[in-house]
This record gives sequence, structure tokens and C-alpha cells, in this order.
Amino acid sequence: MNSLFVWLESSSFSVWVRESNSVFAFPAILSLHTIGMGLVAGLNAAIDLRILGFAPRVPLMEMKRFFPLVWIAFWVNAASGVVLLIGYPTKALTNPVFYSKLLFIALGLAVLLLLKRHVFRDPRLDENPVPRMGRMLAVASLACWTGAITAGRLLAYTYVRLLSI
Amino acid sequence: MEAFQVWLVRTLGGAYGVVSPFTNSAWGWPACETLHFLGLSLLVGTIGMFDLRLLGMAKRVPIVALHRLVPWGILGYGINVITGALFLMTEPREYIYNPAFHFKMLFMALAGFNVLAFYLTTFRKVKVLGSGDDAPRVAKVMASASILLWISVLVCGRLLTFYRPGLCGAERAGFLSTCIP
Repeated sequence: MNSLFVWLESSSFSVWVRESNSVFAFPAILSLHTIGMGLVAGLNAAIDLRILGFAPRVPLMEMKRFFPLVWIAFWVNAASGVVLLIGYPTKALTNPVFYSKLLFIALGLAVLLLLKRHVFRDPRLDENPVPRMGRMLAVASLACWTGAITAGRLLAYTYVRLLSI
Repeated sequence: MEAFQVWLVRTLGGAYGVVSPFTNSAWGWPACETLHFLGLSLLVGTIGMFDLRLLGMAKRVPIVALHRLVPWGILGYGINVITGALFLMTEPREYIYNPAFHFKMLFMALAGFNVLAFYLTTFRKVKVLGSGDDAPRVAKVMASASILLWISVLVCGRLLTFYRPGLCGAERAGFLSTCIP
């Protein structure tokens, strides 16, 4: 693992991410990652709140229209996240909190897919109250994205090793 | 403006004794940062969704119905004002002399004016729109401004750590000082 870290960290792209003084390097990547985070977690939260009964006059089915944007924001963050990881592989991969962040994201996405399959597929969604299963998924979704953000934020304070080179 | 900045630092720093036992405790600062990011997500998600509806996305949603989610955005904003104030009172110089912070405050003020303008002008017309209705052009302009301004606030927030102010050398400040006197 260590030699992999050394190899990655000495690659020119990794050095550029870490050391470039350009605002288009680390600051821009971090900004994109934050905008994407706000959209993924925030839009999911808005949909979850609607499922839980807030803003009851909003047709739930129509909220499906925001899913593509959630996915775009997710892929922006997957890409910017990989770039950040190339910049600081040791810092992330030697910290257990990083794996908990990945787990929260994976669970959050699984919950999103379950919501699509079990709640949003019902054509009479807006004629009946949301089933219990749907409300439980909404709570799980809120918990997962809160967990992912918390773990992500704590990465800055809990790392054990910054670099291997 | 430099005198104003000095005054701000002194005034904000006056609360240091009260807030620092918490913000400088082992988990105080990380906890506030985490809440700040949760708050921003709540704001971006709910207000962003409302703006997107004004722009024509998910058109079958009546705008007033979606407006019921706005209090959640205000909650996120409130969390961030409180946690932001805690950061400011703990390390006033880091912010008051930071150019990224100056722009962050500028964009927040503009976003505030935009909200005010929206409710004072076009909201009355927007409120009566139903499912499938198109928002008036003014509302769309304000929705676009809202999205751009909040994204700018986010970006400036992230830029804070890259524009940390140093101590002033021989150079003197312009309109706002970006070094610590």
C-alpha cells in the first residue's frame, strides 16, 4: 500500500492538485465538491421532507424531476472526490473515517434507488398517503447524508498521516 | 475602512472569553464546521429547488406548495449564522482581513437584497400560480440571481483558507485591509 501511495503522490497530477498556486487547482476542486454536496444532500433532504409530510400540497410524483440533477451532482462529486484522493491518497486511505464516509454515501445511494423503486414507481403515489416503508426510507436517507457530511468534514481533523513522500 | 475593521475585530473579540471554551475545545470547532455544512446543504437544497421551479423545472408543482419548504432553508441559514458568528468571535482577524470573507459578505448581502426584492415585488404574482404555470420573467431573473449568489457564497467560503491574511508589511491597505495591522 505504501509504495502505491508514494507512486501516486509523486505523480505530476497529484503534485499539481496539492501544490499548484492556481485557484483552478485545489480551491476550485474543493468548491465543486462543496456545491455538489449541497445539491446531493440538500435536494435529497427536500424530497425526504416532502415524503415525511412537509409541504403536503407538492405532488410527490413531480419531485422525480429533481433526481437527474441529484445524479449529475453525485457524479461531479465522485469525479472531484477522485481528484482530491489522487492529491492526498495517504491522508484519506489511512483514516477509518474516510471509509465510513464512503459507506454512508453507498447507503445513501442504495436508499435513493429503493425510494425510486418502491415509492416513486407507484402511479397512484399522490392519491394515497406515503406507505410506512417510504417514510422509513426518507428517515434513513436523511441519516445517511447527514452521516456522509459529518464524516467528510471530520476528515480534516482526524487524519493520522498526511503524505507518504 | 481600516478603523472599522479594527473596531470589528475588537468588538467580535470581546466575546472570545465566552465562546472559546466551546469553540477551542477538542470537538467544538469540528462540530461547528459540520453544522455549517449541514446548514448550507439544507439551504442549497430547499431554496435551490424553489429557484429551479421558478425557472421552469418540475412545472406541475404549484409554486406556493413548494414555498412551504422555504422555512427549512431559513433554518439552515440560521444554523449557519450562529456557527459563522462563533467562528468570527473565536478568530476575528482571520476573517475580517480575509479578502475571501469580504466577497462572501458582499454576495450574502446581495442574496439578502434579492430575497427582499423577490418578496416585495413579484411574490404576489407568483403566489397565485398553479400547477403547470410559468413564473414571470422578473421572478426567473431573481431565481437565477439566487442560484448564482449562493454558489458564490459557497465558493468564497471554501476560498477562506487559501487567502489567510498575514501581518501588514510596509504596504498600506486599499478600501479594505487584507493584512493584519
